Amino acid sequence: MRVLVRLLSTLLGLAVAAAGALLALEVAWQWWRPADAPLAVPWPAWRDALANTGWDSFSVRVAAIVVAVSGLVLLLASAVARRRDVRLTDPATDVSVTTSPRSLARVVGTHVRAQDNVTSASVTASARKVRVRASSTFESEEQLRPRLTESVTGLIADLPLVRRPKVSVVVDSPRDRR
Amino acid sequence: MSKSASARALARSQGAERSLTFVTGLLALFAGTAVLVLGVGWFGTYRARRPVLDPAVTEWLAAREPVVPRVIAIVAGLVLLGFGLWWFFRSLRPEPKPDLHLDRTQGHALTVTAGALSAAVRADTESVDGVTKAKVRSVGDPGEPALRLQIWLREGTDLRRVWQDLDAQVLARARTALGVETLPVAVRIELGASPRQRVR
Repeated sequence: MRVLVRLLSTLLGLAVAAAGALLALEVAWQWWRPADAPLAVPWPAWRDALANTGWDSFSVRVAAIVVAVSGLVLLLASAVARRRDVRLTDPATDVSVTTSPRSLARVVGTHVRAQDNVTSASVTASARKVRVRASSTFESEEQLRPRLTESVTGLIADLPLVRRPKVSVVVDSPRDRR
Repeated sequence: MSKSASARALARSQGAERSLTFVTGLLALFAGTAVLVLGVGWFGTYRARRPVLDPAVTEWLAAREPVVPRVIAIVAGLVLLGFGLWWFFRSLRPEPKPDLHLDRTQGHALTVTAGALSAAVRADTESVDGVTKAKVRSVGDPGEPALRLQIWLREGTDLRRVWQDLDAQVLARARTALGVETLPVAVRIELGASPRQRVR
């Protein structure tokens, strides 16, 4: 997403520069030689077309919807492109440490899979929350969940994280379906 | 609140690009919605039926001295051009890798190139127990360079021990070798990275 915003930002900058250049060029050209008026942009034709379309016409509405939707896309893309790294406590002054949410999830996943009676597990992690979904053939959710929550909380407490993420564990077990 | 040099070195800043994209999106959303609302007739049914290029506006413009709007339009175009070019090159330029200038006196200038610095620190970092792979580069402005280390740790490595080793062996060595008192360092750790195993 961060790459997408950089790309969008580059394109927008280019578009603004091109629009500014064309505006200055066309106005200056029209001032200097009114007879050969449109230089590159057919603005007299646009002017005549705009003078004959009302604000309530279909094409104006379509254009407005397109502009609003692309604005919304830009808004969402730039809002989503924040940094998601997990901060660790600074070991010394002038040293800052982060880790990726993915590697936090990997550590928790390895730990959970090594527990007794866990058949498989998937983990998603962020700086605020660690979600574990484990499945177990032999133990029901009531038996396994407190044990897993406790051990994952202990594991995370051992990591020098700046903010302790909340742990949520869901266990999927065929024993609960009977 | 300003962030420390090492915190700034953690990742490339994208503040300007993000906010410019955000503001553009906001403007486009507002403009599109305003035109839609106008077209639906919430500002008056009669208002909605008027042409986009309103004769009232063109007559008002035609009544002025033609020099003023022209000059305004040309200046606005040039300002947009300059701003757009600045924006474009700012988003396009790669992240700089500054060299470390140890001595700037004329005739005695001493510079450690970014490549030499990162190769030396990388070799030291990879010799720390538990580190499987390391990437090092210099970041920041030339006046205040910082190091960014990306290290991959073997599964089950004790983070605190790695930090001690890093601080004692790698960073302290780099500081004494370069003769600088402070060297801002950002470390990005990848935990539990096991080497890829081939499927048999």
